Amino acid sequence: MHISFLIHNAYGIGGTIRTTYNLANALAEQHDVEVVSVFRHRDEPVFTPGPRVRVRHLVDVRPDGADAEDPDLGRPARVFPRAEGRYEQYSALTDRRIAEHLATVEADVVVGTRPGLNVHLARETRRGPVRVGQEHLTLDSHPAALRATLRGLYPRLDAVTTTTQADARAYRDRMRLPGVRVQGVPNPVPRPGIDPADGSGKWVVAAGRLAPVKRYDLLIRAFDTVRTQRPDWRLRIYGGGKQKDKLRELIDRMGLYNHVYLMGPANPIEPEWAKGSIAAVTSSMESFGMTIVEAMRCGLPVVSTDCPHGPGEIIDNGVDGRLVEVGNVQAIAEGLLELINDDALRQRMAHAALKDSERFDPSRIAEHHESLFSALLAGGGNSPGGRTRGSLHRTRAALLAGAYAVRDAGRTAFGKGRTA
Amino acid sequence: MTTPAPTAANQHLHEAPVPGPRADCVADSAGGLTFDVTDSGESAPAHLLLRLRDSEQEVRLPLTPAADGRLRAALPSSVELPEGRWDVYVQVSDDEPRRLAPGVNDLRALVDRVPDGSHGHVAARVPYSTRYGNLTVRSWLRAPHAEAGEILVDKDELSVKARVYGTGLAPDAYVELVARKAPEAVVRAGLTADRSEFRFTVPYRALRPGLWDLWLRPDGVTGPRVRIARLLDDIADKKPIFTYPKATLETEYGPVLAGPYYTGDNDLAVKVAAVE
Repeated sequence: MHISFLIHNAYGIGGTIRTTYNLANALAEQHDVEVVSVFRHRDEPVFTPGPRVRVRHLVDVRPDGADAEDPDLGRPARVFPRAEGRYEQYSALTDRRIAEHLATVEADVVVGTRPGLNVHLARETRRGPVRVGQEHLTLDSHPAALRATLRGLYPRLDAVTTTTQADARAYRDRMRLPGVRVQGVPNPVPRPGIDPADGSGKWVVAAGRLAPVKRYDLLIRAFDTVRTQRPDWRLRIYGGGKQKDKLRELIDRMGLYNHVYLMGPANPIEPEWAKGSIAAVTSSMESFGMTIVEAMRCGLPVVSTDCPHGPGEIIDNGVDGRLVEVGNVQAIAEGLLELINDDALRQRMAHAALKDSERFDPSRIAEHHESLFSALLAGGGNSPGGRTRGSLHRTRAALLAGAYAVRDAGRTAFGKGRTA
Repeated sequence: MTTPAPTAANQHLHEAPVPGPRADCVADSAGGLTFDVTDSGESAPAHLLLRLRDSEQEVRLPLTPAADGRLRAALPSSVELPEGRWDVYVQVSDDEPRRLAPGVNDLRALVDRVPDGSHGHVAARVPYSTRYGNLTVRSWLRAPHAEAGEILVDKDELSVKARVYGTGLAPDAYVELVARKAPEAVVRAGLTADRSEFRFTVPYRALRPGLWDLWLRPDGVTGPRVRIARLLDDIADKKPIFTYPKATLETEYGPVLAGPYYTGDNDLAVKVAAVE
């Protein structure tokens, strides 16, 4: 099938961009896939798309770009919803270009990747293609005004996908979307290009923006307890952000400067996970929990707060990681010490983490999307006009699902390929 | 990786947008490095070229086909790499060398590294990405070497745990602090040794305002001077990561702010700054 993604900016850096490319690349192994970027602000995308994925833009805002001087760039958007976080970047020009694109789009499936673009999809996609709105954040995180807008327009979509089952329930229970398939599909995380951690390093690793929601202050305080019992273990926190000075001050005040290190941003992060033996997440909220899956794919068991929404859906508590109470320093410390003090348990969990996280492989996640798309195409969807082409795609999808499985098995066969 | 499985889709997302060739780099615990370069498909012989910055020195390593369709070069620990920053290029036959961009640097073997020091020297090489997104190898070569470990900062003094490699500690071993701008100003600190490990304390009040470099004198006054540094891990630039609280205190030079830091070469130093 022909799948067309619509994304805010495919040329930048960010979770949604990375996730979209990972999914697009996996789908492109069997399907015709394009990523349409509303904006283009640089010549080349930061994340290079796979060779089979076409990337194009609608509005060229490079300094000498074709649209940089367009007066409509300065006129406010009317279709893109005002309550959306990115509203200020949208304009009469984006309204016009997105409308033109959706009126003529040659695709079986059109996928929006943020609420404002999903609104465009709902209102402006020509008759024919299946309309799928992806939500990368959570319903809770949208302002009330945006929720009201979405409640009015999302019924015109065929499906809404969320990154967790918890968020899918929230959409089903609170949005009343008759006839719209609401489905939780986790984000894809590729197999890392390095060998998994061997679990011998006495390091706990955390990675993420140094933002208040990540509650690294709790992790640092918990590590004070860890240090008194196990001074041979240390903590690395990767990432940059506004909390850096505060966290630095906390580390110094608690005398943890020989045990806790603020490493700054790291890209790629996989080799940094591989240096640790335990990963830690102490957030008060994770809309999905990408770092948890990344760490598990590198062979680390994760000690995470059981916060909304993702961790509890990723970690099998006590099997491939440990869930602890949100906001509880003592519980975080105990969770870490449980794994630090029991080498056999840690190794067992590490092994399980590696195995259990295979379900997030892009090939597997692509299958979820593919069967959703196929079902929508077969069922005639929700949008006016209905559809007639289902059966062909359905058969093809069944065959392709088999192809993914074979390839995936091929991948697990290689691992320890690197010599030191 | 050993199979031609379609890993390109996995790999490329980690990469920065720099065009041109790219190298993955794996470090071993002995100090050796292996570079895996994307094969450009040229049939002519290719080399990995390391050029010491601000110098004419070069090291050429043959690139040979590896099992996964890439080209591999090895820089074993036995090849001496003088101290400095070595920019990494790929050169096909006699063509103009092309700068390499870093791919995945797998440096796990360097974390908490304990070399044996039995050859009388310690070599450390840490590949890193420059500010401009290029691959460079930072090399240190010390004979002997004094590795700084835990540092404890008190309200008017600094205690350091360290370990010497490549030589022993004589009974009259000591640590000296040398004022960077006035090398004739030397302050001594006694040490307590336990085989190759030693500890010493620096009272800040003994230091006048300025920057002070720390040296070990393993054989006392007559022997060599060994710079105290932190080299034995995977972090090319210690300064922003290994930071320590500063102490404010009253001295005969007036009020000062004092504390340890690592220099751009990862050598341990103390800064004493007069407070207005």
